[in-house]
Amino acid sequence: MTMQQTHTAAVDDPIFEVRDVSVSFDMDRGESRVLDRVDMDIERGEILGVVGESGSGKSMFASALLDAVVDPGVLTGDITFDPEDGRRIDLLDRDETDIKDIRWRQIAMVFQGAMSSFNPTMTIEAHFRETLSVHDYDVEAGMERARQLLSDLYLEADQVLGSHPHELSGGMSQRALIALALVLEPEVLVMDEPTAALDLLMQRSIIELIREIADERDLTIVFITHDLPLVANLADRLAVLYAFEFVEVGPSDEVLTGAKHPYTRALLNATPNLDTPREEMRPIEGSAPDPVNVPEGCSYHPRCPLADDTCIREDPPLTDDGDDHAAACHYVDRVAEEVPLTLQEVTVDE
Amino acid sequence: MSDETVVSLENVEVHFESEGSILPFGGDSEVVQAVDGVSLDIPENDVVALVGESGCGKTTLGKTAIGTQRPTGGAVKYKGQDVWKANDGEGDVEIPFEEIRQSLQIIHQDPGASLNPNKTVQHSLEAPLKLRHGEMDTFERRERIHEMLSRVGMEPPEDYAKRFPHQLSGGEQQRVALIRALLMNPDLILADEAVSALDVSLRIDMMDLMLDLQDTFDTSFLFISHNLSNASYIAGKADGRIGIMYLGELVEIGPIDEVLNDPQHPYTKALMWATPNLNPKADDGGSSPLRKIDVPDPRNPPTGCKFHTRCPEAREACTGEMPDATDLGNGHEVACYRADDGHDYWSSPELADEGDELTGTADESTAD
Amino acid sequence: MAEQNSSFSQSDGSAGGQGASRADLYREWIDMALLTPIRVAWDDWRTQVGSIIIAFYLLMGTVGVALVEPPTQGQGPRLTPAFQDWSVPLGTNDIGTSILSATVHATPPMLQMIAAGAVFSTAIATVIGTVSGYKGGLTDRVLTTFTDIAMTIPGLPLIILLAALFDPSNPALIGILITINAWAGLARSIRSQVLSLRDHSYVEASRIMGAPTRRILVDDVLPNIMPYVLINFVNSARNVIFGSVALYYLGLLGGTHENWGIMLDGAYNGGAIYSLQVIHWLFVPMIAIIGISFGFVLFAQGTEKLFNPRIRARHAETVEDDTAPYQE
Repeated sequence: MTMQQTHTAAVDDPIFEVRDVSVSFDMDRGESRVLDRVDMDIERGEILGVVGESGSGKSMFASALLDAVVDPGVLTGDITFDPEDGRRIDLLDRDETDIKDIRWRQIAMVFQGAMSSFNPTMTIEAHFRETLSVHDYDVEAGMERARQLLSDLYLEADQVLGSHPHELSGGMSQRALIALALVLEPEVLVMDEPTAALDLLMQRSIIELIREIADERDLTIVFITHDLPLVANLADRLAVLYAFEFVEVGPSDEVLTGAKHPYTRALLNATPNLDTPREEMRPIEGSAPDPVNVPEGCSYHPRCPLADDTCIREDPPLTDDGDDHAAACHYVDRVAEEVPLTLQEVTVDE
Repeated sequence: MSDETVVSLENVEVHFESEGSILPFGGDSEVVQAVDGVSLDIPENDVVALVGESGCGKTTLGKTAIGTQRPTGGAVKYKGQDVWKANDGEGDVEIPFEEIRQSLQIIHQDPGASLNPNKTVQHSLEAPLKLRHGEMDTFERRERIHEMLSRVGMEPPEDYAKRFPHQLSGGEQQRVALIRALLMNPDLILADEAVSALDVSLRIDMMDLMLDLQDTFDTSFLFISHNLSNASYIAGKADGRIGIMYLGELVEIGPIDEVLNDPQHPYTKALMWATPNLNPKADDGGSSPLRKIDVPDPRNPPTGCKFHTRCPEAREACTGEMPDATDLGNGHEVACYRADDGHDYWSSPELADEGDELTGTADESTAD
Repeated sequence: MAEQNSSFSQSDGSAGGQGASRADLYREWIDMALLTPIRVAWDDWRTQVGSIIIAFYLLMGTVGVALVEPPTQGQGPRLTPAFQDWSVPLGTNDIGTSILSATVHATPPMLQMIAAGAVFSTAIATVIGTVSGYKGGLTDRVLTTFTDIAMTIPGLPLIILLAALFDPSNPALIGILITINAWAGLARSIRSQVLSLRDHSYVEASRIMGAPTRRILVDDVLPNIMPYVLINFVNSARNVIFGSVALYYLGLLGGTHENWGIMLDGAYNGGAIYSLQVIHWLFVPMIAIIGISFGFVLFAQGTEKLFNPRIRARHAETVEDDTAPYQE
C-alpha cells in the first residue's frame, strides 16, 4: 500500500490531483479492489498516456476521474479538479459539486466503440443539438462549432450530421464522437481505448488528429489504452498500471528508453513491434493477479526476477529521485542490468 | 519450408450479393467483390501472414483457403485436388472431401466465443480425437489431452481438463482452441486474428507456442491480422511470407524481412507508417501519406488500381486497369505500375484531387 | 493426410493414464450428467416447491386414484359443503357426487393430456425450428412455409372443429389436438435463435472439424436453446390444461371421463357462483387447475439454471470452483 509521503512525479500546474483513490466491489469471493489507493497528478495541457493490460484497473481509473463508477462499486479518496476559472473543486464531494455540470462541459469522455455511445434512432445532428441544449448552450453557435470540429476531423459536416449512427463507418463515427465530446469546449478529455476497434491507418490518422486538436485547443488529455506503442509517441508522460496501482510514471521518452520498473521493462520487451529484433523478445511469465487475491507486498513480486524477501513483505511506494520519473520498486538501481531492454540495444547500434 | 504446396488458390474470386437491406439506402441487389482474383500458394509447414484493413477480404480469403467459403470464381486446390469438385463429386476425386475437411482447421479471434460454454475442456477436446482417431478409447483420449495441456503450459492438466471455458483466462481459452485445431492433425490452420484479442504481453507467448507446435504437427499457418507488428513477428520467426491485401486484391507479397525493409507498394508503405513503434527517437513519419482517410465503399470500388483514390503516387495510368503482379525476384511480388520502369505510368500526369485533401468519401456511406 | 506424430507414444490399449481408473470415470460421469444437474436444480426454492407440487399431482393421479373411490351419484347428501361430512371431505355437488372423488379421478387423464400435448408440440417445434434454422436453403424454406401455414390457421376454431368432427376420447389424442398448431410460434422463435447460434465461433469450429450435423445440433446448438425450450414446454402444458378445461367447460368434448372443466361447467350451471354455501363446488376444481399450472411454472423457472455452465461448475464436486478469473 502506498505510504503517506509519496512523490507522484509531482507536476507544476496540476489540473487533477488524485489522492488515495480506491474503487472496491464486494464480491462473493471477497472484497475486490480494482483501483488500489492511487495517487496521480495530471498536468494542465498535457497528454497523459495511462497504459495497462486488461485487469489492471485502467478503465476504473477513467470512471473514477469522472465520478462515474457503477454501482455497487465504492469510490473512496480525493480528487481535486482545478479548472481555468480558478475554482478548485472537490470532485467526490457530492453535496458541493454538481457533477453533471462538470461532466461534458469541463471534462468530456470518449470511450471505445462509438456505435454504442450514440442513440441509433437519432441523427448525429440531433445528438449535438440535444447535448447543447441540455447544458444550456447557445444551440446555433454550438452547431457552428460542431461543423467546424467535424471538418477539422476530416469529415463532411453536412453528410455526417444528417446521418444516423449505423450509416457511418467505424472511423467516421469515432470521429463524430470526438467532435461531440469537444463541442462544449471542455478543458479535459478522458479517452478510454478510443481507437481500439479501428483499422491501422484510421487509428494513426486519429492519433494525429488528437495531437493537432490538443495543441490548438490547449486540452488536457488522459488517454487510456493497453496498446503501449500506440500512445508512446502521442503522450507527454506515460503512467503504467499494474494490479490496480501505478507502478511507473514519467516523461514518455524516459519511460520508453529507460524504464525503471521491471514490469514496464518486461512489457516493452514483450510488445510486438517492427523495430525490435524478434529473437530478443521475451514473453512475461505468469499472469496478472485477480483483484480479490493481490499478492502481499509488491504486487509484481511473483513474476519479477529481482524479487526477494523485502519485496514480499513491503509494497514499494511510487517514488522518484527528484527527476519527475517515478517507479514503485525497491531495486530501481538494479533494474537496468537484470531486465535489459531489447529496444535500447537497437538504438545503441544505430 | 518444403516445396510441397498444401493449399493453392488460383485466381480466386468471392463475390457476395447483398439482397437489399432493411435500411433504405443502397437500393436493390448489390455485389461486393470481397476477393477479386487472388492467387496464392501455401507450402507445407510454413507461415503465410495476410495483413490488411477491414473490408480488404483477408478473412474471406482465409476461409476460402480452408474450404469453408466457396469461391464464385477460380479454384482452391488441396494437394492438387480441387476442393469443391471433391465436395460435389465431380470428376476424378483423388482426395475425398471428408479428408480435406479434416486437414484444414481454424482458430478464431475471440477466445471466449471459440469454445462451447456448456462443454468442459475435456469434452471439447475429445471431439477432434473422436473424429480423427476413432480407434482411441476413453483412456487414450484422456492421456493425449492431458499431454497436450501440459505441453501448452496448463498444469496440472487433470485440473484444467475438467474446467468450463468461463473458468479459464483468455490466453488459456485460446490455447485450448489451438490444441483443438492441432488434434485434428491438420495441414493448414487458419489463425484468424488469433492473438488480437489477447493482452499484449501474452501475444508473443501464444505466437511462440504456435510455432513450437507447428514443427511437431507439421502444420502450416495462414495468419490473418490487421496488426502488422503481430504478423511480422510470427512470419519473421518462421521465415515465412507476408501478403498485403487491399479491397480484395493482393497488392504485395514476399518474404517478411524483404517486404518490411524494402516495401514496394505505396499501401504497404502507408501501413508501415501507421504501425506505431516503441522507439521515440525514430522518425515518426509525419502526417498521413494518404490522400484520403476513409476506405472506399467495397460495393463501389474504384476503377483500375483500387488504391488510386488514396495513393500519394497515383497517376492517370492507374485509373485504367488493375496492374498485374510484377515479380521482383526471391518470391517478392507487387501489383503496382511503379515496379515496371518502362510502363506508361511514368509519363502519365499526376491525379488532381477533387476538392480538399483527406476528405471523407462524399458519396456513399461506408460500413466497416 | 498429415502423418501420425511419432513423438506421442501409441497407447498399448491398457487402461489408466496417470491415476484415472474406470471407477473414476464412472464417478465423474454420474456426477456431471446426473448428480450435478439434480443438485443445481434442487438448489433453487422454485424447483423444490414446483417439484413437490407436481409430485403431489402425480401421486394424486396414481396412488390417489386407487385410494379414493371413483365418483358416482349419491356418494353423500346433495350439496354438502366442504369439511363437514368426512365421508365426502370436500363436499358434494348437486347429484351427490363427492367432489374429492371427481377431482382426483380427473387427474390421470389430465396428466396424460399434458404429457402428450406438451411433449408433442415442444418436440415438433424444436425439431422443425432447429433443422430449418441450421440447414437453411430449401429445407428452411419448405419448413418455414409449413410453419407459417400452421401459424396462420386460427387455433381455437380449428380445435373446436376437429373436436366436433372426431370427438376424441383418448386423453393423449386430446392433448395433441389442443396443441395442434401451437407449436408453430415456438418453432419460429427457435429457428431465429438457431440462426444466430449457427454462426457462433464454436459452432463454426465444429463444422470445420467435419463433425456430423446431428452431433453439432445436439452438442452445440441444443444446450443453448434449452432454457427457451423448457419455458415453452411449460407454457404448452398450461395451454393444454386451460385448453382442455375450456373445451370441456364449453361442452365440446364429451363426458367420457372426469375433467375439472366439466366440474366447473356443472358448478356454473348449477348456480354455484350465486351462493357461498355451494362455492366449494366451484373452488375445488379451480384450485386444482391453478395448482398444477403454478407447479409447472415454478419448476421451469428453477430448472433454467441447469443450462448455465457457471452454476453447474459451482455445484459439481469433481470440478474446482472459484476458479473464474477476473473479468474487467
